Amino acid sequence: MDPEVTVSNGAYSPTVHRERVSDFQQWLIVTVHQLQHYLRTNRFYGLVGFVVLIAALTLAFEVDAGVAAVRLQQLYRSSEYLSNYLVNTGLFVVLAAAFFGGDALSVDFSTGAGYYMLVLPIRRPVLLAGRYAAAALVTLAVIGVYYVFGAAGAIYFFGTASVPWASLLGSLGVAIIFALAALSVAFCVSAFVRSPTAGVLITVLALYVGFTTLQATLELAGIEPWFSLSYAGGAMAALLDTDFVHFQTVPLGEDQYYTIWSATVAEGLAIMAGYIAVFLPLSVYLYQRKESTG
Amino acid sequence: MGSFEVSGLSKTYPPGDPVLSEVSFRYEGAGAIGYLGPNGAGKTTTLKLLVGLLRPTAGHAYLNGVDPTVDRKRALWDAGALIETPEPYPTLNVHEALDAVGRARGLSRDGVDAEVDRCHALLDLPPLGHRIGWLSKGQRQRVSLAAALMGDPSVLLLDEPTSGLDPAERVLVRGLLNRLKRDHLILMSSHQMLEVTEVCDELIFLDHGQVLLRDRVDRVARRIRPRQVDVEFDRALPASSMGMLKPVAEEVSAISERRWRITFDGSDESRVRLLGLCQGLAPVVQFANTSLVLEEAYLELVPRAPEAT
Repeated sequence: MDPEVTVSNGAYSPTVHRERVSDFQQWLIVTVHQLQHYLRTNRFYGLVGFVVLIAALTLAFEVDAGVAAVRLQQLYRSSEYLSNYLVNTGLFVVLAAAFFGGDALSVDFSTGAGYYMLVLPIRRPVLLAGRYAAAALVTLAVIGVYYVFGAAGAIYFFGTASVPWASLLGSLGVAIIFALAALSVAFCVSAFVRSPTAGVLITVLALYVGFTTLQATLELAGIEPWFSLSYAGGAMAALLDTDFVHFQTVPLGEDQYYTIWSATVAEGLAIMAGYIAVFLPLSVYLYQRKESTG
Repeated sequence: MGSFEVSGLSKTYPPGDPVLSEVSFRYEGAGAIGYLGPNGAGKTTTLKLLVGLLRPTAGHAYLNGVDPTVDRKRALWDAGALIETPEPYPTLNVHEALDAVGRARGLSRDGVDAEVDRCHALLDLPPLGHRIGWLSKGQRQRVSLAAALMGDPSVLLLDEPTSGLDPAERVLVRGLLNRLKRDHLILMSSHQMLEVTEVCDELIFLDHGQVLLRDRVDRVARRIRPRQVDVEFDRALPASSMGMLKPVAEEVSAISERRWRITFDGSDESRVRLLGLCQGLAPVVQFANTSLVLEEAYLELVPRAPEAT
């Protein structure tokens, strides 16, 4: 059997002009494509709605308590108010990372989405980077809503002049890096599992339930949970905490102590950077190796 | 000039028997190649290996001379693929779904719009503002086919391109493929023998991951002799009159009072004699094979197929 056959019905002459596209241009195209998708999903509106609900209820209860009571409770410092308010940010970041990153890659191997995108002349790391950027942007939008409510509360209770804007922006910057670290873990899970639902669930369980439980257990044993991402997330609030202490020892009984650890901003950033450095390349490797066997 | 090549290509999903075993073929230029075989023969696996959705266990696949596992961007640059059931994001509208594809293939904004218009005209696409999630299966299939055509790549890899389409849509796509094959290279897997007969110049029959036959469609057609014809007379005939056909017919069965199905040895001589005998019984309105030549070839090569269906 002749292994080579030339069929020649006619000469190919393309009907359209195409330019070479750089990886960077394709990254932008994928980012926009993915953003268009994310911004129309129920999960985006559901998460924004959830954040608005929690933030609005918090604010409403505080308004109901009165300005004087809130000021007294927060030691007359807007930074203290914001630091306490931002303690919950980690939960929203983890939820957003899980919702937008937990199935970002597995969707290519469990649905027909991969047969649409993976047959295009785009390198897989570029596809991943575009989806990562889009997920980071929508996560930022979700966190941003929470920060806006926090800033509004600080202005209402303490006045615009007393709000530590630089520290608040710094905290938002830390939150973005925390989101990138959480998304790196979510993308890695998504590159590993095949089911999109499993990817979302595993990410939430690992980042929130798993790390929080482990952190509490280690603190009981007096060990600093330096490897925990949720521990690192404390840096978002720590940046605004004027009375910040790295650890506190609480007596539990005779000769028994419980140590509560709080990550410093530098420590938190280092842990987050470590997660990004480990999990993002790992997701790229797994995504590149994965086959469409379904 | 587009080309695709597989060389000693094998794929095994562990643990298990090989899905493909040392398959080799190479095509270059323009034309349509039909890739046929029963379910599980390895057709879709070959296409997936050609676009880099799978990695070969052994051997190589090349698209336009480039191994997609080495440089997928260069390999897929001038190739469009419709494999399995592609699903663009249901939240996007038709234009947005095609825009990303066109832009990734190097089209300018104006170029994308022109290409979307061209595909709209070629494939009778649904309204461009409609969301993918609202479309019927056939409409989604046409959008996916349009995505494969965006940018006019020289090579098209199509896995059952008319799957999920209604008869009118199938006619539309067959017509399109017939026009495209004049200057594009098309590898098309299909179970639709009519489609393959009408569109393809060459055939590859695959079974159990191995190539059973590779030939031109006209050469296969010359070799295969359909052994069954349906004959329609201009009036009802009694069963006893069919005894006249006995010298040639091996079996005669009634389809209706006027229509009869006759099995014979399939040779040209017998066919001529049979037609003459039938015309001796009554004027013949229709005398036609009961199956397409390629169906006969398929059944001859892949005897398991009737049991599977």
